[in-house]
Amino acid sequence: MALFAVLQTAFLLALLPLRTYQSEVLSEPLPLTPESLSVSINSAKQCLHLQWTVHNLDYHQELKMVFEIQISRFKASDVIWTGNYSTTVTQNQVLHWSWESELPLECAIHFVRMRTMVDDARIPVPRFWSNWSSWKKADAQNSLGDHPLYVFPKDKLVEEGSDVTICYISRNHQDNISCYLEDVLTFGKQLDQSVWAFELKNISFLRKTGTNFYCQGQGVPEGVVLFVSKVLEEPKNFSCETRDLKTLTCTWDPGDDTGLIQLPSYTLFESFSRKKTLCKHRNRCDWQVTQDSQEMYNFTLVAENYFRKRSVSILFNLIHGVHPVAPYNLFPKNVSATNATMTWKVHSIGNNSALLCQLQLLGEGKVIQQHNISIRVNGEYLLSELEPDTEYMARVRCAYADHFWKWSELISQNFTTAEAAPSEAPDVWRDVMFVSGHPTVTLFWKPLSKVHTHGKILFYNVVVENLDEASSLEVLSVPAPANSTKVTLNQSSYQIHVTAHNSVGPSPASTVAISGHPGNENVEEGRINGTEDGFPMSWKPQSRNATGYVVEWCDGPQNLPCVLQWKNLGPTTTGTVISSGAFRPGVRYNFRIYEISTKRMAHLLEKKTGYLEELAPSYNPQVVPNNLTSHSFTLSWKDYPTESQTGFIQGYYVYLKSKAGEKCHRGFEKTVLPDNSVCCKYTIDNPDQKTFVMKDLQPESVYEFFVTPYTSAGEGPMDDFRKVTTPDEYSHILIHIILPMIFCVLVIMIACYLKSQWLKDKCYPDIPDPYKSSVLSLIKSKENPHITIMNVNDCVPDAIEVVNKPEGSKIQFTGTRKSPTETKGTKPAYLDLLPTEKNYSGPGPCICFENFTYNQAASDLGYCGHFPVTSQAPHCPLGPLTSPENLLKTLEQNYMNSLGEIPAGEANLNYVSQLASPVSGDKESPPTNPPEPALCSEYKMQMAIPLGLASPPPSENSSLSSTTLLDPGEHYH
Amino acid sequence: MDLRAGDSWGMLACLCTVLWQVPAVPALNRTGDPGPGPSIQKTYDLTRYLEHQLRSLAGTYLNYLGPPFNEPDFNPPRLGVETLPKATVNLEVWRSLNDKLRLTQNYEAYSHLLCYLRGLNRQAATAELRRSLAHFCTSLQGLLGSIAGVMAALGYPLPQPLPGTEPTWAPGPAHSDFLQKMDDFWLLKELQTWLWRSAKDFNRLKKKMQPPATAVTLHLEARGF
Repeated sequence: MALFAVLQTAFLLALLPLRTYQSEVLSEPLPLTPESLSVSINSAKQCLHLQWTVHNLDYHQELKMVFEIQISRFKASDVIWTGNYSTTVTQNQVLHWSWESELPLECAIHFVRMRTMVDDARIPVPRFWSNWSSWKKADAQNSLGDHPLYVFPKDKLVEEGSDVTICYISRNHQDNISCYLEDVLTFGKQLDQSVWAFELKNISFLRKTGTNFYCQGQGVPEGVVLFVSKVLEEPKNFSCETRDLKTLTCTWDPGDDTGLIQLPSYTLFESFSRKKTLCKHRNRCDWQVTQDSQEMYNFTLVAENYFRKRSVSILFNLIHGVHPVAPYNLFPKNVSATNATMTWKVHSIGNNSALLCQLQLLGEGKVIQQHNISIRVNGEYLLSELEPDTEYMARVRCAYADHFWKWSELISQNFTTAEAAPSEAPDVWRDVMFVSGHPTVTLFWKPLSKVHTHGKILFYNVVVENLDEASSLEVLSVPAPANSTKVTLNQSSYQIHVTAHNSVGPSPASTVAISGHPGNENVEEGRINGTEDGFPMSWKPQSRNATGYVVEWCDGPQNLPCVLQWKNLGPTTTGTVISSGAFRPGVRYNFRIYEISTKRMAHLLEKKTGYLEELAPSYNPQVVPNNLTSHSFTLSWKDYPTESQTGFIQGYYVYLKSKAGEKCHRGFEKTVLPDNSVCCKYTIDNPDQKTFVMKDLQPESVYEFFVTPYTSAGEGPMDDFRKVTTPDEYSHILIHIILPMIFCVLVIMIACYLKSQWLKDKCYPDIPDPYKSSVLSLIKSKENPHITIMNVNDCVPDAIEVVNKPEGSKIQFTGTRKSPTETKGTKPAYLDLLPTEKNYSGPGPCICFENFTYNQAASDLGYCGHFPVTSQAPHCPLGPLTSPENLLKTLEQNYMNSLGEIPAGEANLNYVSQLASPVSGDKESPPTNPPEPALCSEYKMQMAIPLGLASPPPSENSSLSSTTLLDPGEHYH
Repeated sequence: MDLRAGDSWGMLACLCTVLWQVPAVPALNRTGDPGPGPSIQKTYDLTRYLEHQLRSLAGTYLNYLGPPFNEPDFNPPRLGVETLPKATVNLEVWRSLNDKLRLTQNYEAYSHLLCYLRGLNRQAATAELRRSLAHFCTSLQGLLGSIAGVMAALGYPLPQPLPGTEPTWAPGPAHSDFLQKMDDFWLLKELQTWLWRSAKDFNRLKKKMQPPATAVTLHLEARGF
């Protein structure tokens, strides 16, 4: 401690002379006070700008000083801020200092004063503050006009998230003023009688045109627009590159827009060369590389707006950032089937610096070749191992060879190689059909794959070579895209060669051999089961010299014609799996396996058949019951095809229901059907058995049966049962008696019906009713309208028919004479009572009904409309019978006698029908035209004739046409 | 074929251009001499169409300015926009106007308004708004041409602008941004009123040209947007 006290004393003593020296330099105590203080207002920045000097500083004197500043608002006494400002002061220096006010300066008068103190280490303490300067007033309201209302600050730029104070000055104290931020009423704090302030906290960006704050009293609204800027972000991903070693391009991500119309500025500064450039874009800037071979660049990017300055720097080596421009003029040259030369050009970099180019060859979108080539101006590369007739894409990009940094953009070019002859023989198979002993061969071939066609296949050549005739060659050309052709051959051995041709040439030939004779088709068919992968099958080789095997099948066997499919297999293969997308469950596929000999001859080795998946039968057979007896019947379904079912038919189920009882017959088993009914079931396990005899049945019983096939997947669908009723034991006897009887009765009935008219005539002929005679109408109309029965007097006979009785006792009064040989007793004889024209000939035969019973003079008044009976009328069948001489003679001889001989009352009446002709009603008018057969008929009087005279059957001696006239049927004809 | 909004704008611009050229084609003025009736009708139709078009444009622009300018009940007293031609006049004054004076006032008003509107277009910050304003200016140019055509048809001379009185648009902060927004508001509002008044004027003129003219009762007042 003693030592410390001594040292302190010594130090003070040493300082004393220094103080003495200082006093000599500064002479007296310094009256260093701020002088010439002036205050100005920067409204845009809301700053009070102070300016002053410090007097009494000696020349070259430089002192560190502290200035204490006080700022008052409204009144000098209301100090709102006090602070110090330190600086080094020289002689006559004008000092500046600014203070930013939160409250817009226009809203309040501000007062400023300051004092100072030396704060220099050379000046020993204690140090004293100078006196305060006088208050200086800063009044921005002087510049305002005489508007009643002002709102400040005008058009202020603020950063998002900051606080803003807005004030208004109202000259009219009576005015009730309301202020709004956008459309929200805002409340402020009164600072003075006429000044109100509003503090807006954490202000946010709304729109580019600013946020509106306005106040409104009685007059015009007054307001300000606050332009809110988003916070300027630091540029990201700042990097530079050059494309030609002449210009550098620096890029960056500027981040979000600040939202102001005034965009932030971006400046690029390079520290080595100390150059800078103002960027024209907000995310990119170009920099010209100087010729002084500067390689290293230290770039600083400065982003700046009103509020912030952001910067980011990189150190950049020029040759490490070369990004070449994309090459150009990429073309194929000398394109052959397998080679092509690609050429391209690049933009030179610097002094023809080397570029590393990457040439890619793409086929079907995949890169199949890639080559790196170093070039300077022109690139060229030979692409080999190309496929003929194939479209490729070549593309190229380049990078700076000295230092790889980035590939250029790619350019690409498509090209197609030339065609070449097909490289592979077509896959050929055949289908041989023997028609009349001649083989008809259908050749099938599969289209070559694109890998092997080497161009568009134009046609297929089929060369048929007869092995038995050395010089016999037949060539067929089948245009593409046909894939089959048919050839008819003789009974010789043949070799058929098939080649595919494109524009360049043929493919290797594919050969099949055909024997002129059918091979052995009697190969047992084996069954195979399909799996998910297809049909697995194997076979046993027959010869050791087989060159291969072929399996053929139809993809859709149910569809005709069959689409033949085949699969080639190697000579060592004894099994394969045949798969096809066309295989479907429930379809039977037949496979034939052929062995190919060294002479390309195919021999059938095995047959296979199977289902990819067996299904239950889709339908049941149509079962016909026959041989029905009282104790049995036979079921038959021989038409049911077992080959075309959805599975291998393993047998049949026969279901039987009987109402007699629940006991099943022998061989049947009781089963329950899906509808819970019970029936008997018989299983036929032989799929070829298509008949079944139901035995031991009860007579007169009803049985129901149903037959369904079954496969490994199940039985067929349940159909309705058919009913069969067994007959009675004696029913067949009854049938043997009753059926013939019924048949006989039916025959008799039919015969009776057919001969009913004849029977009627024979048994009960019609009795004419005189009251209903049709002649009455004729008579009524002419003479007596009230007549009800025909009188003899009413009739005027004009002809008489004589019916000759077989006994010859009857003499008919007729004008017709006929010899027995001429008449044969079937024709009536007629006698015209009126003169007739000799030469008249009628148009046809005519029937004249005459009353032979009465003989009256009045009959001459009648007019017979039929043609006159003349010997010259050969067309009239009665003509030969009506010779006047014969008739008159006969009449004279026989008539009177016959009348006398007939006893009255005994005689049966024989009527002759009569018919009135409407034409004949006019008796006065002569016939002007030959009458028609129908029209010439005329009613004649009729008389009763004893039946005995007419009814006997005619004999050889009978008179003319007696029986014919007695037949009513004849008369009505 | 789809007609987009841009297509209709283009067609309208085409129509306006044609109307503008009508008085300049002597052949059209001579052929048939249909009188001023058709051109008055066309001018009236164009005025009504512009009224409709402005309704859409004003809505977009006032939203762009923000509240309170886009509020429907914002109706401040007019101040500081004396440079804009005023459409509202006293009814007696309007009645006392003759056809020539009416047309002259219309022509002068749209000449001024078109100039201010082009200034508005230069200020707009969004491309979409600039496009809409440009199309409207084209249409208004067409209306001006149409009025000139009517005046020519009636034998009235076009008003010659007095030297030094051409309306000018001064870029930059002539006054505060808030007042600038207020000016924009008043410009659109005045334009709306002028279009409404012009429709009445041309309707009256149209009826007058087709005697017997019917009395037109007109009550002019400013209407809100």
